[in-house]
Amino acid sequence: MQNSVLEVAGAEKAFGSTTVLSGVDLAVENGEFISLLGPSGCGKTTLLRIVAGLLSADRGTVKLSGADITGLPTHMRGVGVVFQNYALFPHLTVAQNVAFGLKAQQISAGDIRATVAKYLDLVQLTSMADRPIRGLSGGQQQRVAVARALAVSPKLLLLDEPFSALDRKLRELMQIELKRILREVGITTVLVTHDQEEALVMSDRIAVMNKGAIEQFAAPGLIYQKPASRFVLDFVGHSTRIAGTTAKTTDGLLAIETAFGTLHAQSGYIPGSPVTVAIRPERISMSMAQETPPSVNVLSARLTDIIFQGSKYHLLFENQGDSHLLVEAGRIPEGMAVGANVHLHWSLEDTLVFPGAQE
Amino acid sequence: MSDRTPDRVALLALPALVYMVIVFAIPVMVLIGRSFFGPSGLSVTPYIDFLSDGFNWRVIFNTLRTAALTTLVCLVIGYPTALALSWSKGFVQAIMLVAIILPLSVGVIVKAFAWQIVLRRDGIVASLLMATGVWDEPKLLLFTETGLVLGAANIFLPFMILPIYSVLKLIDPSLQHAAATLGAPPVYRFFRLSLPLAASGIISGCSIVFSLATSMYVIPSLLIGDRYQTLPTLTARAFLLMRNERLGSTTATILLFLTIAIVMLTAWLVRRREVQT
Repeated sequence: MQNSVLEVAGAEKAFGSTTVLSGVDLAVENGEFISLLGPSGCGKTTLLRIVAGLLSADRGTVKLSGADITGLPTHMRGVGVVFQNYALFPHLTVAQNVAFGLKAQQISAGDIRATVAKYLDLVQLTSMADRPIRGLSGGQQQRVAVARALAVSPKLLLLDEPFSALDRKLRELMQIELKRILREVGITTVLVTHDQEEALVMSDRIAVMNKGAIEQFAAPGLIYQKPASRFVLDFVGHSTRIAGTTAKTTDGLLAIETAFGTLHAQSGYIPGSPVTVAIRPERISMSMAQETPPSVNVLSARLTDIIFQGSKYHLLFENQGDSHLLVEAGRIPEGMAVGANVHLHWSLEDTLVFPGAQE
Repeated sequence: MSDRTPDRVALLALPALVYMVIVFAIPVMVLIGRSFFGPSGLSVTPYIDFLSDGFNWRVIFNTLRTAALTTLVCLVIGYPTALALSWSKGFVQAIMLVAIILPLSVGVIVKAFAWQIVLRRDGIVASLLMATGVWDEPKLLLFTETGLVLGAANIFLPFMILPIYSVLKLIDPSLQHAAATLGAPPVYRFFRLSLPLAASGIISGCSIVFSLATSMYVIPSLLIGDRYQTLPTLTARAFLLMRNERLGSTTATILLFLTIAIVMLTAWLVRRREVQT
């Protein structure tokens, strides 16, 4: 299958005795927008630099549209990069920045002018064409960087934490704006970020990285709802976790003994293994009724705290002074106040089980 | 910031200003005055006399040519050095900086005498060129223009390296990466990115070395001798040997204005660049 624009196979990299990448495989389809998501030091930026040719891997290959580019210098790769600090050329104007890569190729002055005009229009900076870089706002600088990278028609675009220098409001605006621009151009894109919201908002697929390896590579919904590991669960979104020990499986239902009583999950574990049950806090329903709700997973707990977060509430529950349970709700059910005893329940599909006790 | 702040800050330069007026500005005024005021009052006769002599044009030419060659050698050697210095880190960088700055503490005379030894017929340079087969027979480099330029370039090199380094170290290294990702090959990046960004440092380095080289006296005296006159050696000759103060003042003034013209041209070039960007 020759549909992959980018194919990384067995990429390894160490700086001295520190392993930064330990055998990473990654394939990105044509026109896809993917994110490399992970904490600092997980190797995501190293992987980006290896793809761009700014760093050479100790082992492994990089293929672009099927061609092996592992040994190719950066300027012969056709991989565009928008750098974290944008790396705009301070001695040139906006239009000259966009024209820089075009001038390095044998392109006629007329064609360069037309291309520069086209991409300045795309990022809505036509009126700023002759301005110096100095004095541009963060958002404008980012758009110049995007136009400059796209102007040379790269096969692949890499974005290295491009929103980290922008304040929150502008960041959200630019994420949508950039998504529009990239969809219009139809370019395959890899975004490197430590910001899960950014990755969830922008990506077709997310590769969650930890300690130099990809833990899970899947669509944002799947990453969130079915995290493949404890790390992915912890890194992306909040979760309520309950430690337990597996018991017998009957009719495909795995029983797990916890401090809150018996809970049920789908997956098969050997009886007697320590596990952690995790539930996304907004998947938990609350009920004040006397009778127990008809659900496979129900526990009762006392509400200890309500934290207002603007668009939503975080509610903290406890059971006999035991571990705090987090529930997220759009509004507080009528009559519910701190100290109330509440039934918490959730479906079988929302019950995630990971090996090993909590923390 | 209040409007008065710059004025107050300027006061900090007052001691230097007073000092320079007393030890530099006043003597220079006296010197320039002497070249225009003779026994018969104000006249430009010394200048007309000086410039109507073909030999003196040769002297001016020698001065500028030697200075230009010295600047060129310093630039060719100094730019890569400054680049290496800006790329290096920690201990290596400290060692390099010491190696560049420490020689400044050795007197010019000591260095010039050392170069006399180096440039002799049996000196290191001649032996090396003989051993590598570039030369068939030993030649004297001392008392040649090549020897003078080599020696002068060595002594002025730090004044080229340091201004270029100070500019290079401020350049964001990711600019080079960005240019490479845009498909620009190394040579293109050098001429369209590295050089323009380093221009202000190169211009100041060149103007400092050029000014120093036009006014050097000890180095040509020891490395090339009286056969090759420059404006400074001629000035010294006029004052010390010929006891002709008027001639000495005239050559000194010509040298001064040549140097000022070069420094101002440089400043203008730098400012024009800054306005552009």
